[in-house]
Amino acid sequence: MNLIRVAKAEMLGVVRGIKERGGVLFTVCGSDERLWDHGFGLYYVFSLGKGGGFQTVATMVDAADAVFPSVTSVFEAAHWDEREIQDLLGLVPLGHLDPRPLVRPDDWPEGLFPLRKDFPAGERPPLVTSREYPFTPVGGEGVFQVPVGPVHAGIIESGHFRFHAVGERIISLEARLFYNHRGVEKLAEGREVEEAMFLVERICGSCSCSHAVAYAQALEELGSLQVPPRAAALRSTYLELERLYNHLNDVGAICAGTGFSFGAVHGSRLKEEVLALNERLTGHRYLFGTIVPGGLSREPFGLEGLAGDLAALREDWGETVAVLLDNESFRERLRDTGRLSREAARRLGVVGPAARASGVDRDLRRDHPYAAYGRLEVTVPVQQGGDVEARFLIRVKEIAATFALLEELLTDLPAGGIRVPLGELPPYTPTFGYTESPRGANVHFLLTAPGNRIYRHRVRSASFPNWAAVPFAVEGNMLPDFPLINKSFELCYACLDR
Amino acid sequence: MALTWLVIQTALYLALAPLVLGYIKKAKAYLQGRRGPDIRQPYRDLVKLWHKETVTSRTASWITRAAPLILFATTLAAAVLLPTISLASAVYLRYGDILTVIYLLATGSFFLALAGLDAGSAFGGMGSSRESLLAALLEPGILLALSVPVLTAGSTSIRRLVGASLSPAVLLLPAHLLALGAVFLAAIAETGRIPVDNPDTHLELTMIHEGMFLEYTGRPLALLNWAVQVRQLLVLTVVANLFFPWGLALVPQPVSLGLAGAVYLGKLLLLGGGLALVESVYAKLRLFRAPGFLWAISFLGLLALVSRYLFRGAH
Repeated sequence: MNLIRVAKAEMLGVVRGIKERGGVLFTVCGSDERLWDHGFGLYYVFSLGKGGGFQTVATMVDAADAVFPSVTSVFEAAHWDEREIQDLLGLVPLGHLDPRPLVRPDDWPEGLFPLRKDFPAGERPPLVTSREYPFTPVGGEGVFQVPVGPVHAGIIESGHFRFHAVGERIISLEARLFYNHRGVEKLAEGREVEEAMFLVERICGSCSCSHAVAYAQALEELGSLQVPPRAAALRSTYLELERLYNHLNDVGAICAGTGFSFGAVHGSRLKEEVLALNERLTGHRYLFGTIVPGGLSREPFGLEGLAGDLAALREDWGETVAVLLDNESFRERLRDTGRLSREAARRLGVVGPAARASGVDRDLRRDHPYAAYGRLEVTVPVQQGGDVEARFLIRVKEIAATFALLEELLTDLPAGGIRVPLGELPPYTPTFGYTESPRGANVHFLLTAPGNRIYRHRVRSASFPNWAAVPFAVEGNMLPDFPLINKSFELCYACLDR
Repeated sequence: MALTWLVIQTALYLALAPLVLGYIKKAKAYLQGRRGPDIRQPYRDLVKLWHKETVTSRTASWITRAAPLILFATTLAAAVLLPTISLASAVYLRYGDILTVIYLLATGSFFLALAGLDAGSAFGGMGSSRESLLAALLEPGILLALSVPVLTAGSTSIRRLVGASLSPAVLLLPAHLLALGAVFLAAIAETGRIPVDNPDTHLELTMIHEGMFLEYTGRPLALLNWAVQVRQLLVLTVVANLFFPWGLALVPQPVSLGLAGAVYLGKLLLLGGGLALVESVYAKLRLFRAPGFLWAISFLGLLALVSRYLFRGAH
């Protein structure tokens, strides 16, 4: 790992230097290292773009002086990461643009930080009287508030959306989303790395494979392991199948958001076909239990006939998407709705299809290849519109690209073993792994303890930076268009909070 | 005799309305390649709601309690005035007037909009405000379209209207067909269907009609849903029997009544299928595009009226 350790006071200068070299924030991790050092470790990982690799900047925050300079003045994308560190580790980012609590519930006692090592996992402290959350006040004649959630009318994950609107026009939206905290990162601590895989797969149902591969790759990177070519190719196959069912689902969801039932029904039907394919291949519809550190847990069950089934599915999808693209009443509904500017997408570090729909040409599969992507032709479609239509079209194009990738992978699947032993990993050494999930970068940052155990595990899923961008796409739109805009990002609440 | 017809009409509307909803849902499912819920599901839903606990917001006033009853009563009162299978009902209920029907429905809508505001929830208020906007824009369209048969009949009495439309010469008049088109589009808007509203949505922020119902539970909700189903059947009956009154039993005899019942069901199947088709092919309009759709209804109604004077036909 390309890591430099700097003093706290030099942080901002170094980070500015990285910004000038074209660096992009990749992940942030804070960790309680009082066990062997005098305070807390802070790690900022930056991507230096296509072929440029990564740069990690680490610093130490003294336990007696638990503050650190916020990098948000240079990389605004770190705003939620730093607020999370403040809530869970009790380190205060100085000069942060918005230092309000992010993860901490309103009735959680002050001065209690769950990710510190002296806070035992499973502890349930007595809750305090709820504090009033300071929403940004909006004034003016005719401005009214619309609170939505966290309990919704349909089967949706819990999140609270506070709108300020004049008539039907949205002036501002604040989203409070951290209602799904399961303490996954805390639960992982002290577990053997192989056992922790079961937790990792359950962070999120819809990008479980992406999480599993990112986590496994972090460990393989640390142990300097090369997974066998067959395992790498099969991992890419599974990851593309995951992208396929997610994109099919999301296209259907966008249709549902406009009340266009034809698209909604066929989206979920096609998704179901891929899920059934997943089950036939791995024994699990959502690909659980297939990825292990060092390779795969077993050979796939039914590779024969897979290529044919995918070709049939591709044709089926072709017929459906032709109807969607030709329906003017549907297309009109997407156009100009929920525009996220390229400038905002860059500033907030938006990832995945949402970034590519706003003209930000980034894809980890091409820029920092992993699994079998290095030897594959990865097509990265980019749209400039930044509206719901662009996010819809990006997915349509990526589905086509994924079918092509799967065909390429399956015609030329290497033979050989699928797993190598992990071996003894060096303790207290930072490492990270990543995948381009259907929603963008899933990054797993790890510190191990002796005996192949986890010391600290931070997960930054694609939903993390993207959720923060949704309000920017919503402002100026109509209230009834919010669900459609939200669906065009189709973000995950569980991934976000962990 | 009048009382008998009153009872028959009421029973017919109440019994048939959930089935029509079930049929439309089934037709939609069929068009989308799904199996869909059982056609009798709306009955089961009503029974289920009837046995559920009723929770009322602490901030709600008498309006919340009264609105379901008022909506149910006004809808039913309007419904019995329209002939379903026999003209006899219109003959005996001689106070049946198309304007009475329209404004009985409007009274129900008015109280529903009040009820949406009453509990003070944001969604109810939004639903009421949107529904009122659309209702205000829909009204001229409906009145213009209905003025064509009214002028033909020379009366707003339903009996006369039906009588006038029975003449085959009237049916082929461009004015009659244009008015029919306008009323069918108005039926889509009035029943809260795509492209104006989405009856199947669970997304509170997009709701128009459903938004006003969000605070209701248990029996009042069952009553509201039932009233809305009757209203849907009523709107379809206006299209079916005001514009195509053939098949109505002129004299109440068992044979002609049976035949009339079959024809009536056939018309409902056709119209319900039409609604399902429109709903499967189109996406919902943006909220502020919906008024454009409603203006189109008014315009169609105006065209119908103008063409009535341009092409008088054999009349």
